[in-house]
Amino acid sequence: MEFMAQANKKFGVRSLLVQGLTFLSVLTSAFMIWKGLSLFTNSESPVVVVLSGSMEPVYYRGDILFLHNGYSPIEIGEVVVYKVKEKAIPIVHRVLKVHNDNTSGKQFLLTKGDHNDETDDRGIYNPGQKWISRDDIIGRVKGFVPYAGMGTIWMNDYPQLKMILLGTLCVLSLFSNE
Amino acid sequence: MNNFLQRLSGITSFAMSTLMALVVLISLTTPFLPSNPTHAVQLHNVQTTTGRMMDPYDKTSRTAEYARLTFDVDADLSSMFNWNTKLLFTYITVDYQSSSGFNRVVIWDRIVRGKRQAKLKLRKHHNKYLLRNFAQTFESVEGANLTLIVNPVPYLGVMYDKTMSSVPFSIPRALKAGDKK
Repeated sequence: MEFMAQANKKFGVRSLLVQGLTFLSVLTSAFMIWKGLSLFTNSESPVVVVLSGSMEPVYYRGDILFLHNGYSPIEIGEVVVYKVKEKAIPIVHRVLKVHNDNTSGKQFLLTKGDHNDETDDRGIYNPGQKWISRDDIIGRVKGFVPYAGMGTIWMNDYPQLKMILLGTLCVLSLFSNE
Repeated sequence: MNNFLQRLSGITSFAMSTLMALVVLISLTTPFLPSNPTHAVQLHNVQTTTGRMMDPYDKTSRTAEYARLTFDVDADLSSMFNWNTKLLFTYITVDYQSSSGFNRVVIWDRIVRGKRQAKLKLRKHHNKYLLRNFAQTFESVEGANLTLIVNPVPYLGVMYDKTMSSVPFSIPRALKAGDKK
């Protein structure tokens, strides 16, 4: 105990630990909010940034989309975010065709980007795949904010920006009193 | 004494809160702005053929039945443009009941970018997208409807659809060689 009191006086260990704990609690609260939103919307990623220009002029690169998946069947004309099986990139396109099969309860969906004139998405599905299904859909676009995601786009296109940002944050946190 | 960083952080956090409040207000109020669109859809003709269409991604298209529609659209959507309207995504769907369930496909769409383009006057247009059943033929397909829908895309906010006119029709089967009409 004597040793710890001396260490606290010399190096301010307790205040460092408190700082670390506050930082961790902020991080975990943010994580809890994100996961809670995921559960509420039944979507693995309820907020996405538009990465490609295939929905122009409706959505541009850098727009932030708010998704809600829920459990109800997909309807025609909805703009959805989906992932082709075994491919990691989420795609934002509009639903062009919906065929329901009552016996299996499945939906057969065809999508198309608004900018891709008269070319549906079969070219980007897996070879031989003609339709996507309800569980390929990550969410339907319920609302959006333009340009707000440009920061993410810049950081992906210029990885040096990520380094610079991280570096500045570290330097600032070292020099601040809170 | 407030130094530069403290002032900057204060301004930034206030700006962020104000912006977020504005986003919420705009999103909530835009769908309630009044609009008065006029719309009418007329279907002239439906023709079903088989053995001609080729979809490079669909091997079954060679023997499937494809329907070709001829339709007119008269619509004045200019009143749907308010200060928060970026464009109108207008599209026409065909929905029907088949033996397996409910089906709905988009057969035509157009992006209306401004008030000048908002007066739609289409005469004897055909479907932009090929219309075929999920099965190979239109057998036991009933209750088809041709519907005009508009999706006003805001600059910022909530997405929603507005259904306009709808006309019921029936999709005929393709005539086989030797059939009498």
